[in-house]
Amino acid sequence: MTQGKTGTELAEPPKKPVTVSINGNAYRADEGECLLTVAERVKIPIPHFCFEQSLEPYGACRLCMVGVVHHGKTVMETACTLRAKEGLTVLTDTPDIVKYRTILFELYLAEAPKSAVVKEMAARYGVTKTRFLRRVDTGDPLGGACILCGLCVRVCNEIMGAGAINFINRGPYTVVNTPFTEPSRDCYGCGACAAVCPTHAVSLEDRGGERILHSWSETKVPLSQCVSCGKYFAPAALEKSVLSRIEPPLRDDLEGLCPACRAKKLAKKEILAATGGDPGDA
Amino acid sequence: MTGVFDRAAGEVAGQKKILPGKPRIAVGLATCGIAVGGEKVYERLQEIIKKTGVDISLAKTGCIGYCREEPLVNITIPGKPLVILHKVTEEDAEGIVEAVKKGTVPYKKALCRVPSWDHVTGTVITYGNGFDEIPLYADIPFFKHQKKVILRNAGFINPEDIDEYLAVGGYAAAEQALTRMDSETIISEVEKSGLRGRGGAGFPTGMKWRITRDAPGAAKYIICNADEGDPGAYMNRNEMESDPHMLIEGMIIGAYAIGAKEGLIYIRAEYPLAIRRLVHAIGEARALGLLGKDIIGAGFDFDIRIATGAGAFVCGESTALVASIEGRTGRPHPRPPRLTDPGGGLWGIPSDLNNVETWCNIPVIIRNGSGWYAKIGAEKNAGTKVFSLVGKVDRVGLVEVPLGTSLNTIVCDIGNGGAQGKKVKAVQTGGPSGGCIPVRLFDTPVNYESLNAVGSIMGSGGIVVMDEDTDMVDIARYFINFATGESCGKCVPCREGLRHTLILLNRLIARKGTAKDLETLALLADTIKNTSLCGLGQSAPNPVLTTLAYFREEYDALVKP
Ligand SMILES: Cc1cc2nc3c(=O)[nH]c(=O)nc-3n(C[C@H](O)[C@H](O)[C@H](O)COP(=O)(O)O)c2cc1C
Ligand code: SF4
Ligand code: SF4
Ligand code: FES
Ligand code: FES
Repeated sequence: MTQGKTGTELAEPPKKPVTVSINGNAYRADEGECLLTVAERVKIPIPHFCFEQSLEPYGACRLCMVGVVHHGKTVMETACTLRAKEGLTVLTDTPDIVKYRTILFELYLAEAPKSAVVKEMAARYGVTKTRFLRRVDTGDPLGGACILCGLCVRVCNEIMGAGAINFINRGPYTVVNTPFTEPSRDCYGCGACAAVCPTHAVSLEDRGGERILHSWSETKVPLSQCVSCGKYFAPAALEKSVLSRIEPPLRDDLEGLCPACRAKKLAKKEILAATGGDPGDA
Repeated sequence: MTGVFDRAAGEVAGQKKILPGKPRIAVGLATCGIAVGGEKVYERLQEIIKKTGVDISLAKTGCIGYCREEPLVNITIPGKPLVILHKVTEEDAEGIVEAVKKGTVPYKKALCRVPSWDHVTGTVITYGNGFDEIPLYADIPFFKHQKKVILRNAGFINPEDIDEYLAVGGYAAAEQALTRMDSETIISEVEKSGLRGRGGAGFPTGMKWRITRDAPGAAKYIICNADEGDPGAYMNRNEMESDPHMLIEGMIIGAYAIGAKEGLIYIRAEYPLAIRRLVHAIGEARALGLLGKDIIGAGFDFDIRIATGAGAFVCGESTALVASIEGRTGRPHPRPPRLTDPGGGLWGIPSDLNNVETWCNIPVIIRNGSGWYAKIGAEKNAGTKVFSLVGKVDRVGLVEVPLGTSLNTIVCDIGNGGAQGKKVKAVQTGGPSGGCIPVRLFDTPVNYESLNAVGSIMGSGGIVVMDEDTDMVDIARYFINFATGESCGKCVPCREGLRHTLILLNRLIARKGTAKDLETLALLADTIKNTSLCGLGQSAPNPVLTTLAYFREEYDALVKP
């Protein structure tokens, strides 16, 4: 867990409106706002893999490079780490950026040859081939689609607080997995990693009363069964952790119900109350 | 407080150890000396002295840096010059003691004599005259062109005895700073001296101190970067092993100026002797009231702790270093926040990080004044710099010269050109990520800007010499291989780009490459340099880019037409 502030928090306090220029057009932004967010809002495409609003800027994918114009000189910086301020002037497609971005995309195409997302994004920037040797790893639990953006690791550690997965090895041998590539005992099975993964590399499935995280060393997490309808609805550990954190606690009579049954029960109660029926055994 | 600091008493005690009024034999025992058998020489001497009962004082010193001539032994006979013996073996011990007993030295083993030695911070130790047949220190070509400021005590004093440091003016600067100077005066002295960080980037030290001091919040940390991960670089190791108090004194002054109560030395675990000597020196300093509460009675509290790193090259990078101390994975993060920013330093507290040698420059700046210091070296590159001169050079060793000295002076005058009479072809400066500079550019002055202009870097001061037999493409492959293994894996240009650079180089060397591959190689190297997240990736392609620029014909020869 880092003690640092998240991307949004950093942008928060001043809220002073400023004008920034992107590709020659002026846009309003809040002072301190992340430039990548500003660009997304005004629909100027800047490719990126490792940015997520709720996390600190990470600066790893290097795709979001823009040219910052300052005193007539253009310096490349990552848009995710760039903060809006009055007069900030950036260009998203200078010849240098186009040149370097092409190589970066080619590196991604070679690193994650199985990723449709990478292929699509690269193609949008005119890159359809790679000069570099493609990785072939038939046994890769991430199916040859991971580009090591670190989002799954960060979400698991910083947001969920589970710390079930991390980087293993370093340099070109880096992979993401559970410690010692053994099934994790810390994993909630929440699936936040899969949800956040830009290349849909994380594979998990619900089978019977279990959620199986294929990518994370086949970690198996038991699912809670609804006491009313009998459906499996959420990983048990996650349910427990969430229940322990809500204030005031969930009413006893709603415990063990899946969201659908919970809603049904609440609705029924409301109706009975409105029609003067007896809510006691609802 | 453990004791009232009495510098004068220590100074007198220390001078009695350096000039004991009887013969003294001191063996150079830094890692280098130990590696070539210095310890055995020491033990043998100890045995003989004990057995024969002669009245000789036996001591350890650090290292004067002439690696090729190790093990080195100093002999001091009262009234005579200090004599440095070289390539001393166990078998020589008997003869040495015999000669010393007769008031002389074994001439055949003598490298040079030192009638008096200027310890720069105000103390000159006068040994004496005589032994005229032995060449003077100042006439030895390896020493002649050097200027010893940082290494002023290395090889002369016992690094495990604080008295000997006090004897040569040690801690006078700290005393002066803490009792007679305020933070502002010290910082402006450091600024005026022109000192720039010796860790590689050359950031002005005084300015970094000022930024840290003025950062919000009362708590500050100072950190010493002793990671020294470049293969072939060992300046910092020798500085700590030969004169650990110089570093501690620099940190005390810095802490006082910045307002830090705690300092950390981040040192690689592969430096056990340096760690031992630092731990010992910190203990000695605490015992004398130079660390701890109410230092020198000046009402200032400061202490130093040691943090050991696992020796990953990238952990020398500032943000990775902090992550590593905090127990996180040593991976860089984008700056800002910088270490000096609130939230960015160690445990989120604004921190000043400086290289070992940067700290070592502080006592002499305070003692002799910024004006004195600024006159050494070159425009915007004040002071001296210690280099490790290694590779295919005749005289391997640690060399200290004013910044701005030409490569020619370092490699040819001091290093005497190629080993075994071979012709020198190029040098690589700045460690694994420096560039290769061809011989025709050897009039390049060694300063931050000129090295950058020829595609290389100062780095921490490694100079690797290559001779006519060296294959430059293979050299590039060697360094790329190193960098690939040291990449932390966070960002794609470095992680994947270096891997493919290595693949391309291997293909070329196997003579399977094409002209197209050469083109890709150049473009890829350029991309890595310009898009990587941290300094490792940003500089790792330098060996490729410079060999492509200066030795293109060697690449072309590998490519099928
Ligand atoms: C990959 C990498 C390795 C580094 N290794 C070291 C090192 O071993 N020692 C060091 O002092 N600085 C090293 N640095 C530089 C530090 O990040 C930092 O700039 C320096 O310690 C600051 O001190 P200075 O201002 O005294 O030079 C390294 C930088 C990078 C990018
Ligand atoms: S699995 Fe997905 S989220 Fe995790 S590092 Fe790889 S690409 Fe990023
Ligand atoms: S440049 Fe290399 S060492 Fe630096 S962050 Fe990127 S991958 Fe890690
Ligand atoms: S989004 Fe900016 S570096 Fe990845
Ligand atoms: S001889 Fe000691 S450092 Fe080289």
